[in-house]
Amino acid sequence: MSEIKLENVSYVYSEDTPYEKRALTDVTATIKSGAITGIIGHTGSGKSTLVQMLNGLTRPMSGRVLLDGKDIWEDPKKISDVRFRVGLVMQYPEYQLFDETIRADIAFGPKNMGLDKEEIERRVLEAADFAGVDREWLDKSPFDLSGGQKRRAAIAGIIAMRPEILVLDEPAAGLDPAGRKNIMEGLCAYRDKTGSSVVIVSHSMEDMAQYCDDIIVISDGRVIAQGKKEEVFSQSDLLRSVGLDIPQITLVMRLLADNGINVNTGVYTVEDAVNEIYKLI
Amino acid sequence: MENEVFIKAENLSYAYEEDDGTPQKAVLRGVSLEIKKGEYVAILGHNGSGKSTFAKLLNMILVPDSGRLWVAGHELTSETFDEKELLEVRRKIGMVFQNPDNQLVATVVEEDVAFGPENIGVPSKEIRERVDKALETVGMTEYARHSPDRLSGGQKQRVAIAGIIAMMPECMVLDEATAMLDPVGRREVMDTVDRLRAEKGITVLNITHHMNEAVRADRVIVINDGKIYMDGTPDQVFARAKELEAVGLEVPQCTALIDALREKGVRIEGKSTTPEACADLLTRFLKKS
Amino acid sequence: MKNIALGQYYPTGSVIHRADPRMKLILAVLFIVCTFLCKNIYSFGAILLASVLLVLVSRIPLKTVLRSIRALLFIMIFTLVINVFMTKGEVLLFEWKFIHIYREGIVNACFMLVRIFALIIGTSILLTYTTTPIALTDAIESLLSPLKKIKLPIHEFAMMMTIALRFIPTLMEETEKIMAAQKARGADFTNGSLIKRAKALIPILIPLFVSAFRRADELSVAMECRCYHGGEGRTSMRVLKYRASDFLLFLAFAALCAGLIALNLLKTPFAL
Repeated sequence: MSEIKLENVSYVYSEDTPYEKRALTDVTATIKSGAITGIIGHTGSGKSTLVQMLNGLTRPMSGRVLLDGKDIWEDPKKISDVRFRVGLVMQYPEYQLFDETIRADIAFGPKNMGLDKEEIERRVLEAADFAGVDREWLDKSPFDLSGGQKRRAAIAGIIAMRPEILVLDEPAAGLDPAGRKNIMEGLCAYRDKTGSSVVIVSHSMEDMAQYCDDIIVISDGRVIAQGKKEEVFSQSDLLRSVGLDIPQITLVMRLLADNGINVNTGVYTVEDAVNEIYKLI
Repeated sequence: MENEVFIKAENLSYAYEEDDGTPQKAVLRGVSLEIKKGEYVAILGHNGSGKSTFAKLLNMILVPDSGRLWVAGHELTSETFDEKELLEVRRKIGMVFQNPDNQLVATVVEEDVAFGPENIGVPSKEIRERVDKALETVGMTEYARHSPDRLSGGQKQRVAIAGIIAMMPECMVLDEATAMLDPVGRREVMDTVDRLRAEKGITVLNITHHMNEAVRADRVIVINDGKIYMDGTPDQVFARAKELEAVGLEVPQCTALIDALREKGVRIEGKSTTPEACADLLTRFLKKS
Repeated sequence: MKNIALGQYYPTGSVIHRADPRMKLILAVLFIVCTFLCKNIYSFGAILLASVLLVLVSRIPLKTVLRSIRALLFIMIFTLVINVFMTKGEVLLFEWKFIHIYREGIVNACFMLVRIFALIIGTSILLTYTTTPIALTDAIESLLSPLKKIKLPIHEFAMMMTIALRFIPTLMEETEKIMAAQKARGADFTNGSLIKRAKALIPILIPLFVSAFRRADELSVAMECRCYHGGEGRTSMRVLKYRASDFLLFLAFAALCAGLIALNLLKTPFAL
């Protein structure tokens, strides 16, 4: 499928005013085809700007964004095609729902793509299944659903465009553990069944460790680490030096190592930790 | 003093109404509990479990359909409960809500903190003192003249907390106050709560679904399907991982780790709800064997 | 978009900044009256001078003030053109087909320009640049409070203004977010016919309204929780107090008023 490369991308907000703020500085990163990539960083680290660059909502001031090797800004008039190929779910997407029914709302994207009626209907149903939207809800008003249900409907609205790369800015923010798990598993299923790449921005290191293949770490507008999650989470000192957490279980392993116990500190899921400790007994 | 009951609920029930006035399925179904003065209680439950509804009953934003409720010595469900008592109860119970934006009223931080005391008619000079002190307690003094819309989520919530402290409450209810915050903001808020407890011994109810916050409380109450499902210390509650998962919650990873080891037949004794406690427990165990 | 903050308060700590907001409100009204008192070149000259003096006293950079005028440039040019072409007089300066330009037209146009200029400078220096919106709201509430006696909801009105000011930046940010979200779904706000573009606004306006109502709902609950129950028995942290300097300012403005009336009496061909 598709791959996105950022080459030396920079962006500055309110340039030449007292409010000037460098959001991204010389960012080079790769979102691999078919992988689930996690982006971690503080609020204000520039990750939301980065995410909006992936689908051309924000245009880099310098540097290039390459989708399958082609600069997405080569022809700015065709940027909406990029937005269909790279689907972006923004933070708290439930606040963008507007149509009379969930069905019509999910169809908004496909309709803008100019698809025919049958195809739209097919995609709405398919997207609803991926996002965990009950078929029964489809004819309800978005405003009659609960928060978690609305969130899923909004995600379905992007999936219905069948993006080759699905980008989500904190898809599980504010949800309870069951709701979070539900959404994360749905995203994994979308990747597995369609082969699309998925990019997830999240503050939950535990989720990142569990669901992602690759991780990109951003701090202060720069990429400070990227690669396989094993590699990234093994650099826990680096993560903690920029004030990011490490998965709780990794912290336990590090504390054990500090206490003089010979364990692998590159462990980040409960199952691995259990095996690791079980070996010592 | 220590054992004085601050909140007492007897068989509380509540159902929201449809637009046409017919009651929906009850969100609270016979909740009875007692919370003592100075306690730090976490209330857990998945979205829609009724935990936030419970909070709204405490200061009469909602009125229970049945049951009896006492707060700070006032019976809210009594026939004689009047407007004056209501204001008194609302002063004593401060609420911090989920969306930091939607609870700040004024365009300047200190003005917002002054909003509560102004409402209850505190003299001007005293308001000034209270506002300054409250901002100091939450560590926002340097932002006193700032506009709230340029603050981070965590800072906004701290301003909201300051606004409550300035009313000299006896209890603070955090209604998913950290749900929209990032880890840094969450830590800011939880540390502020800890400091308030240390300085003023205030009663705290933290309604949350973050297990790592619940661990910091003295007592954890789990609400499910409108009823109290568990009630105990964090150690007691998190020891029942399977039951928690059944109601859409989870246990902290540390607790899950020890549980999984026990399931594999490792005979490890003790509690672990924080990484430090967990590491100590494992270290002692591994060094012994 | 966030930076075009309403009121654009510009702190410099000048005498005008420190003046009582109620006095500033009264003075602003007085100044507006002054601009309409002007009748001839002397009085218009005086009001122009007074405006420039105001800017200097407030210590707000002239550049910043002129930038705010730029926004109203269109109105000024429009007034200029209308006055130049539409005023009939006695001294004809230029004639071409149906276009007649009289000296009176040029004079009138200049006067109108000065009047608009003085109006903008006067109100923005006395009010928006030197007074925070919240102080302004307090001033309005305090000045109008006698009307409470005839049951006008003055406190409620002031509260509404405060809340509106508080939420304007929030809602603007929200609009941007919703627009970005709909663009990500392929919405197009810039192309197509007028009807098509108006239709494209629906996916922005509906979520915006829904969100505004939700915010209003949550805010009202939060306010009730903080013991808000209307203006009755309410105190205020800030107590407004007139000081000697406020009265000096008032005297200066009164003198300006008197001066203008006197100047109007001077004989000159350049008069309205």
